[in-house]
Amino acid sequence: MTRRLIGIGNPDRGDDAAGWEVAGRVTSWDVSRLTAGSLSLIDLWDADDEVVIVDAMKSGASRGTVVRIDAITDRLPQGQFSSTHAFGPAAVVELARTMDRLPRSLVVYGIEAGHVDHGAPMSPEVIAAVSAVAEELQHA
Amino acid sequence: MNMPGERREIAVDYLARVEGEGAMYLKIDGGEVTDLQFNIFEPPRFYEAFLRGRHFAEAPDITSRICGICPVAYQTSAVNAMENAAGMFVGGQIRELRRLLYFGEWIESHTLHVYMLHAPDFLGYPSAIEMAADLPDAVTNALRLKKLGNSIMTMVGGREIHPVNVRVGGFYRSPTKSELRSLVDELEWALATAEATVALVATFDFPDFEMDYDFVALHHPDEYAITDGRIVSSSGIDIDPTQWPDHFEETHVEWSNALHANIIGGGSYYVGPMARFALNGKQLSPRAKAAAESVGLVPGESNPFKSIIVRAVEIVHACETSLEIIGSYEPPDPPFVVVEPRSATGHGVSEAPRGLLYHRYDIDEKDLIADAQIVPPTSQNQRSIENDLREYVSGRTHLDDETLTWQLEQAIRNYDPCISCATHFLDLTVERTAAK
Repeated sequence: MTRRLIGIGNPDRGDDAAGWEVAGRVTSWDVSRLTAGSLSLIDLWDADDEVVIVDAMKSGASRGTVVRIDAITDRLPQGQFSSTHAFGPAAVVELARTMDRLPRSLVVYGIEAGHVDHGAPMSPEVIAAVSAVAEELQHA
Repeated sequence: MNMPGERREIAVDYLARVEGEGAMYLKIDGGEVTDLQFNIFEPPRFYEAFLRGRHFAEAPDITSRICGICPVAYQTSAVNAMENAAGMFVGGQIRELRRLLYFGEWIESHTLHVYMLHAPDFLGYPSAIEMAADLPDAVTNALRLKKLGNSIMTMVGGREIHPVNVRVGGFYRSPTKSELRSLVDELEWALATAEATVALVATFDFPDFEMDYDFVALHHPDEYAITDGRIVSSSGIDIDPTQWPDHFEETHVEWSNALHANIIGGGSYYVGPMARFALNGKQLSPRAKAAAESVGLVPGESNPFKSIIVRAVEIVHACETSLEIIGSYEPPDPPFVVVEPRSATGHGVSEAPRGLLYHRYDIDEKDLIADAQIVPPTSQNQRSIENDLREYVSGRTHLDDETLTWQLEQAIRNYDPCISCATHFLDLTVERTAAK
C-alpha cells in the first residue's frame, strides 16, 4: 500500500496551478504532478493504494473554496473538474470506476479557481487554499 | 421538426472531448447555411511574447509547456529551428532517438483520440466511460497502448509530460541499449493491437462525404516524414521549411482570436494524418501499408471521417518503426552536438500528431530570442474545418438539431483539434430561421 498524492494543474495558468502547487509542497506522500493528458492518472495507482488527487475546479463557488470528495463512495461531478485538461480527472475516475480500476481509497480535493489566464499568478484566495490543503495533507 | 416561420436556437454547453477552448455558431436560413463561424479561443500568443528575451536554448522547454498532449512536437520544432539558425542539421543516432520519442507521442495521442474521443462518436456513446461499460476489452487495450506511448516518452524524454531530457543539439542523456530493449515485448503486442485497431475502426459507418483538399505535410525522401523534411502539398508546393513565410500567411478573422493560416495566393489547406497519408502513404512501414490496404484505404482518401482509420494506420507505423529504431540503436556518445548560436533567423517544422507545426525564431547577437512565431496545426486547419462544416450541413439541414449537433461535433473531431494550442470547450450554437 502506498500513499500517493497527485496534483493536477497548469503552472502557467493562474489559479489552475493549485493542484500542481499543493503537490509541490507536500513531502510526506509519494507525489506525482500532471498537467494535461490526465488519462495517465489511471496508471498512477495500484489497487491497494491510498490516493489523493488535488485539482482546480470551476463550480461557481467563491474562489479559494475547497471541497473534499470521497470518490469511492461518491461520483465526481463531471464538468466541474474539466479545467484545462484533455481528459478531465472526473472522467478518468469514472472510467476507472466503470473498469473496476479504482484504488482502495481515493479522495479528490477541488480548489475553486478564479482566473486561469496564461502567465498570471495564482490569486491570494487560492494561494491560501493551497497552503491549507498542503498543510492538512502533510500531516495526514 | 421545424415549422415554417419557426426560429430555434440550440446551444450545447461544450463539446466534450475536444480539448481546448472554442465555439461554433451556425445559422441555417430556410435550409441554406447563411453563416458559419468556428471560433477558437487561442491563448492569444502568450507564449510567443513569453519567449522574447529568453535564451535561445530555453525554447524547447518553454514551448513544450504549450501543450500537454504534444510536448514533443513543440520541442522538436523548436530544436530544429534553433539548429537551423545555427546553420546545423543533427542526424545519426540522435535523430533516431528524436524519432523514437516522437513516435511515443504519436502512439499516446492517436490512441487517446481514436479510442477515447472519436470512437464513441461513431458508436453512439456520449463518452468513453459509457463505451467502456460495453466494450471493456477495447478500452483496456487503448489504455495499454497509451501507456506504452507514455513509457517511450519517459524512457527517451525523461518524463512523459513536458519531457526534460531534450536540448538543442540532442539530449542530456541517452538511454542504454538494454533500457530501450525493455520496450520490445510491449511494442510487439502494440503492433498487433494496432493492426486490430485498423480492422476495428474500418468497420464503423462513415458518412458519405468527400472534400477536395489541398493537403500539406512534411516529406522526406527516405521515410514517412515526422521530425524533418521539405514542406510539400497536393497542389505542388515543394519548399524548404525556411521558405514557409513566402508561401503561408496567418490572418485575423473577426470572430476568432486565433489566427487562420492560408496558402498565399491559394486558400485553405489541410494538415494532419490525412495529409501525411495522402502525400507520403507509399513510405509507411510494411505492416502499416498492409493494414491500410487490407481495409481498402488508399492515399488520397478525401473523406475526413476516415481520418480515424489513418490514425490507426499511423499507430501501426509508429510501433513497427520504433522496433526498427530500437533494433539498430547505438547510444550516441555524447548524446548531443554542441550548437553555437548566432544572430540569425531559424525555421523549424515537424509533424505533430495533429499535423505540421511551424516555429520561427529570430536570435539576436546576445543569443536571446528577439521574436518568435508558432503556428500550430489546429490554426492551419481552421478554414478547412469551417469548409467541411458548411458543406456537411448544406446537405443535411433536414436533420433534427440533436442529430446535427452530434454529427458536427464528430466532424470537428476529425481534425483532432488540440488543447491549449487551440481549444478547450466548444459552445455550439445552431440558429435556424425559416425562409422569408
